[in-house]
Amino acid sequence: MNVEILDPRVDPEPSGWAGFVGSHGLHPVWRYPLLRLEAWTARNPPVLAVVRDHGLVVGGLQVMVCRSWRTGRFGPPVTRRPVRWRPRWAEVYLPLHSGYPAAAFHPDADAPAAVREFERALVRWVGPGLLGVLYRAMTAELADAMSGPGRPRREIDPAAGLRPPETFDAWRASLADDVRATIDEIDADPDVRTDVGAGRDDLDATELAALLNAHRARQDARAWSGGQRSRFAGLHMDTRSPVSPAYLDALLRRSNVLTRTYRTAAGRLLGFNTMINDRATAAFHHWAALSRQDGGQPGLYLHAYAQAVAKAIERGTTELTAGRAMLDEKAALGFHDTRELHTVAAPRPLLGDRWSAAAWRRRPGSTRPRQHVPGA
Amino acid sequence: MRAWATFRRNHGIPCTNPVTAVAHCSAMWNSLAFRLWRAAYLRAVSSAFATVPLYRETWALHGRTDPVLVPGKTGSNGGALPADGVHRRLVDTAPLAGGSTEPDPARGLAGLLTRATHRPSHRLVVIVDSDVTRPPTGLPRGSRGCVLHPDAATAAGDEPVIREVVDTLRRGERVLTVGEGKDLDALTAALPAQLPPPDRVPHHRIDRPGTGPFGLLHDPLLGYLGVLRECGRLHVDHWHVYVRETAGGLAFTVLDRTSPRLVDVLIGGGVPGEVHACPKHGSPVIET
Repeated sequence: MNVEILDPRVDPEPSGWAGFVGSHGLHPVWRYPLLRLEAWTARNPPVLAVVRDHGLVVGGLQVMVCRSWRTGRFGPPVTRRPVRWRPRWAEVYLPLHSGYPAAAFHPDADAPAAVREFERALVRWVGPGLLGVLYRAMTAELADAMSGPGRPRREIDPAAGLRPPETFDAWRASLADDVRATIDEIDADPDVRTDVGAGRDDLDATELAALLNAHRARQDARAWSGGQRSRFAGLHMDTRSPVSPAYLDALLRRSNVLTRTYRTAAGRLLGFNTMINDRATAAFHHWAALSRQDGGQPGLYLHAYAQAVAKAIERGTTELTAGRAMLDEKAALGFHDTRELHTVAAPRPLLGDRWSAAAWRRRPGSTRPRQHVPGA
Repeated sequence: MRAWATFRRNHGIPCTNPVTAVAHCSAMWNSLAFRLWRAAYLRAVSSAFATVPLYRETWALHGRTDPVLVPGKTGSNGGALPADGVHRRLVDTAPLAGGSTEPDPARGLAGLLTRATHRPSHRLVVIVDSDVTRPPTGLPRGSRGCVLHPDAATAAGDEPVIREVVDTLRRGERVLTVGEGKDLDALTAALPAQLPPPDRVPHHRIDRPGTGPFGLLHDPLLGYLGVLRECGRLHVDHWHVYVRETAGGLAFTVLDRTSPRLVDVLIGGGVPGEVHACPKHGSPVIET
């Protein structure tokens, strides 16, 4: 088993990667062209670690190599010689799809061994300045493979999910009266116009990205002021970046991404939603709306969720996920299922340790874990 | 330091700094002063690429020239962007660390007034332009600035700005009006005939150059970019603006303003032109 680490900004797409993503039902955030766009426009650019066994791709991890959570600069140009002694840490994390883990392995792969091999490869790639690796938002199975002695682990906010019922009417019947009334009001409002489509190339990604970034900033401010659980020692350890129009444009053009927009009769954008409409695991992906102070329409998200559930039922999806925030509001829409997510920290001295993986395998009652592969 | 430089230029005080003084020497323009001008531009490009989403996305994904930032990617028009495209994406012209996304169409006026009018200062400076909504800043001490919408320029007596112009002229103090020629004509016509007319400096657009003898090169997005001097050439405000020839036309960069960051903007739809040193003054001039 060996691990190859690639910088999507300059390295060509690895052989077999597109096949692995397709056969394992991974969402579009794993597609190499999208990764390239994300990496060029990120403060902490992701790199891709491809795990191979006898030449075949058996797993992959997306890793953000972070310099600071307060930096106002994009990742340094790749033409610059890397500063190998500069302190940095790595986060295995999908910043634009945070309810899903940034690691995926073939069900038959030895995940603990792959993780340790990945850590050794990352140390070689980053250099002596690597402080450690943070595995964020991992499912319980994946977190087991990454855990070990000296590796702190904690549970974080879960992701909400829904197993769509047989019919839309059945889902609608499960809603509270006020939720149903809000959805009906928006349906009947002549000043709210909505359209939806897959693989859209008729939208202005600049307009959508501006709305999305403003919405994310507003939500983040609300989450921090509300005492978000991921706050650490009062620090806003936010390593994410704004969503770039180029990235969003490429995402919206994908055939399995549904985009719904809401506009006033005059054409002003009120909100939009993207949905990854895969048969195995669909995801209510991006949601952004104007705030009420800026003339937004209250309750628009309820309508968007209702339409997403209708699309999931129409497609025959087995699960529709809805991210990690606002769980109470999502529960009111039937998203009662939650998927436990964990964060594991691996400090530098323990990276690639063979004994913790072996100890993990020898633990009493341990069985070979069933690896989580989204959509598998 | 910058305040001193502005004060010195506004009052016609000779430059004593050995580094910046060379900019005034035509013989040296093509050597050291040009390199300093060019270095300021390269710093602006580097900073924009590292911190401003619009330029990061454009130059990383499509490329640019002069300098090339991503090997093998040269983009179109040398990486310059049309002004209407930049205006549409103003939200992405603020650096990641935050900043204003509101352009200042009156930017750069104060530094050019002395050369545009051959007077150290005026008591009142009035910009008559529908694109300018905020008064100019950085005027010499004793000068006040204000803006007047062209539609209000004919409403004599009712408009506070016109009342102020009349009062200032009645006191025997000088008033300078800046704007499109026809708007300045309308304002002058709206003033009482017995008063002396205010001084005037018309706006020149890059795609509609005037003939002089006075004039300021203005763009609604970037502000004031240059001045028509007595030699009849359009001099770039090289202290604050860089201009570069590209396949899409002359591309302007505002050097001293970081938010919104405006780098390599093709104004007026992209007007072809050349940049060279003025034979009389030595500083850079543009010819379209």
